[in-house]
Amino acid sequence: MNWSQLRTILWLRWRLTRNQWSRGGPLNAVITMIAAAGGITFGAGCGIAGILAGALALSRASPTVILVAWDLIIGAFLLFGTIGIISEIQRSETIDINRMLHLPISQRDIFLVNYLASHLTPSIILFLPGMMGLSVGLVLGRSWTMICMFPLVLAFIFMITSWTYCLRGWLVTLMINKRRRRAIITGVTFAFILVSQLPNLFGNVLFHPERHRSNNTTQSTQSDRQTTSRPHIGKDLALPHAVLAAHNYVPFLWVGNGAMSLAQGNAWPAILGSAGALLIGGWGLRRAYRTTFRFYQGQTAGRSIPRKTNAKKDTAVARNFLERQLPGIPAEAAALALAFFRSLVRAPEVKMALATNFFMMLFFGAMIFVRRSATLGDTFKPFVATGSIALVFFGISQLMCNQFGFDRGGFRQLVLLPVPRKYILLGKNLAILPIAVGIGLTFLVLIKIAMHISFIIIIAAGFQLVTAFLLLSMAGNLMSVLVPYRIASGTLKPTKIPAMTVFLIMVSHMLLPAAMIPIFLPPALGLLLSKAGWLPAAMVNFFLSIGLLGILALFYWLSLTGLGNLLQQQEKKILQVVTQEVE
Amino acid sequence: MENLSGLNSRMTIAIETHGLTRCFGDLYAVNGLDLCVEAGKFYGFLGPNGAGKSTTIKMLTGLLAPTRGTMYLLGEDMTDANKAREIKRRVGVVPEELALFDNLTAREYLTFVGRMYQLPMATVRDRCQELLTIMSLDNEEKKLTLEYSHGMKKKLTLAAALIPNPDLLFLDEPFEGIDAVSSRLLRDTLKRCVQRGTTVFLTSHVLEIVEKLCTDVGIIAKGKLVYQDTMDQIRKSGSLEERFLETVDSDHVERQRLSWLED
Repeated sequence: MNWSQLRTILWLRWRLTRNQWSRGGPLNAVITMIAAAGGITFGAGCGIAGILAGALALSRASPTVILVAWDLIIGAFLLFGTIGIISEIQRSETIDINRMLHLPISQRDIFLVNYLASHLTPSIILFLPGMMGLSVGLVLGRSWTMICMFPLVLAFIFMITSWTYCLRGWLVTLMINKRRRRAIITGVTFAFILVSQLPNLFGNVLFHPERHRSNNTTQSTQSDRQTTSRPHIGKDLALPHAVLAAHNYVPFLWVGNGAMSLAQGNAWPAILGSAGALLIGGWGLRRAYRTTFRFYQGQTAGRSIPRKTNAKKDTAVARNFLERQLPGIPAEAAALALAFFRSLVRAPEVKMALATNFFMMLFFGAMIFVRRSATLGDTFKPFVATGSIALVFFGISQLMCNQFGFDRGGFRQLVLLPVPRKYILLGKNLAILPIAVGIGLTFLVLIKIAMHISFIIIIAAGFQLVTAFLLLSMAGNLMSVLVPYRIASGTLKPTKIPAMTVFLIMVSHMLLPAAMIPIFLPPALGLLLSKAGWLPAAMVNFFLSIGLLGILALFYWLSLTGLGNLLQQQEKKILQVVTQEVE
Repeated sequence: MENLSGLNSRMTIAIETHGLTRCFGDLYAVNGLDLCVEAGKFYGFLGPNGAGKSTTIKMLTGLLAPTRGTMYLLGEDMTDANKAREIKRRVGVVPEELALFDNLTAREYLTFVGRMYQLPMATVRDRCQELLTIMSLDNEEKKLTLEYSHGMKKKLTLAAALIPNPDLLFLDEPFEGIDAVSSRLLRDTLKRCVQRGTTVFLTSHVLEIVEKLCTDVGIIAKGKLVYQDTMDQIRKSGSLEERFLETVDSDHVERQRLSWLED
């Protein structure tokens, strides 16, 4: 690629981005620029903080403390980066290679442009300045030998980004087969969530020191307290030999190892680490290049999963899921609910959202509730049950507040349908009901087992679950109609939505806890009345939960007509948003 | 009395528009379109690229709001949201950009559409089976629509449009991406629909297909209806291609040459 072609390609990318901005209007452009400026400012802030930390806080720290500090930074960087990969598991190229293959341009150069552009991720924008700043600070605060941190950090970033790029390309080739793609997306997500949450599970839930001590009071010794106390910077940490040895062999730990060795006056581990990371990174980039072009030129072994052919066809066709009736529900709404439910449970992005949120909420909830269970009195246990219900909806709010974004082209069919629009909303809500109730009941059963909460509170929480569902359905229906956005197939990432929409989504998510307030009324009133000595808290909670459910059910039913009319008014605008593919 | 006669005439007219207009910013995609298609006709709607064919179909089927103008389908005002929903019960559509749910199988999708048109379940089941067989989609029972090729998706969309047995059928480029066997099958199916009284409104770039199938033809250029006649009349004075090229002013195209090919 010559300079003129490179300039043209950069112009193309800029033009696509600019056109996208101009389509969103001036307000969106302003918000986008503010967000970009915020990111750059934050990155610069990280850089300055890194310099100060290196020059002041770590200037007299022991080498082991420096190792731990770098390990924590690298750990956070990897975690942040992995979240980015999960949210956009398929690689989206800056320049679509498919549209360039027929042009007389070097494939290698397009690949390099795309690879370099792949560095523009939040994790690198935020962490790289911080790492470089810390390196500068260490040079200023300690000695010139710390200058070797620069090549080490850069080589490490190269190693990570090249293999990340390779991994994403490899996943794309695997996912040629769309069914396999689902399994991969779901599997990778599950694996990531479980791996990333294991330290939480072990550290905060299963083997939390307080819990451990409460079970074994005799072991509550001075040595226990010493191990749980925080290390002071400047004092040496005694890391096990195996941990230190692992730093020599595990590439992710080479930065920490190099920093520790440099602090001890030995530059060789940093130099060797840089060379090793460069070699591994180069190998990753080479693999990424080969995989990418094999994929685009159709040389991958995209084997299709063998499928049974219908050698013998039964004349009587089995009754399919969508033929079912739902008692008490209008036939059209029932059919819509069944179709939406079937689509939801098959969509990998939905599975991914549910898996992510279920486990995050489970671990998060366990951290909060289970750890405190020993000290929490019976008075506050109803709030734990109600709180767990609220957690369910934090997890599925994206599904409920952007119901048409996952339909994409399918929404066109909804516009063409001769059904009252309130049935479309009812069908959408009913499709999510089993998911919300399933997760909610799982949480309640776990809480019942872990915290020995009485049945009447659990049943009251069951009613609150449905109440919260109705509340969120009403809010979600309104949001779905007024602020729709397209979700790219196979990912959870909105497809380059206008900044104004991003802003509204953020506001709505921030207001979500406020929408949950009504379900806390029954336990709160129960507590008040029992403290006043008038009525037992559990009974008040139970009956108020039923009453609240009745009121919300009525409100929900009444809201359907109005929201259905609003949907009818807005459906063409929604269609434009959710079907528009953006480059 | 006038109102009654107007009402009666509308009963025999499947599609009627007056001053139908759609603007995108400064661009008039459709500009004051006055269209009249009698019931039971096979109407071919032709035009060069960007003439406004798909925009017209989108407006007529409720996928796009008109900027101004009126439109009546099967005698009912399509701009009235409540009436539009009732009209949709009698209309089948194959839109240019397909309207499928990625995560349903063909049978599930057809069942869903059939139920939306409130057909009895036994009818839905029978029609699904027939349509899947006739469209050669019954061998791919386990496939989801996202795994379908473009042609298969087109056939499935057509099947969905046919399942309610509509009185009026809109087809936007139905033959695009369809193989010769399926194309033949589709032509026969559409002819059969027209024979039993369905009005078909079709856009296509393939003039030969329009010539073979349609009873009436309208040509749109730059958002305006510039020609409308029966196929019989067109045949008397030449071919459809000649008439089309004359109407859309293709003379300047014939005069133009690429300079580097002239040496």
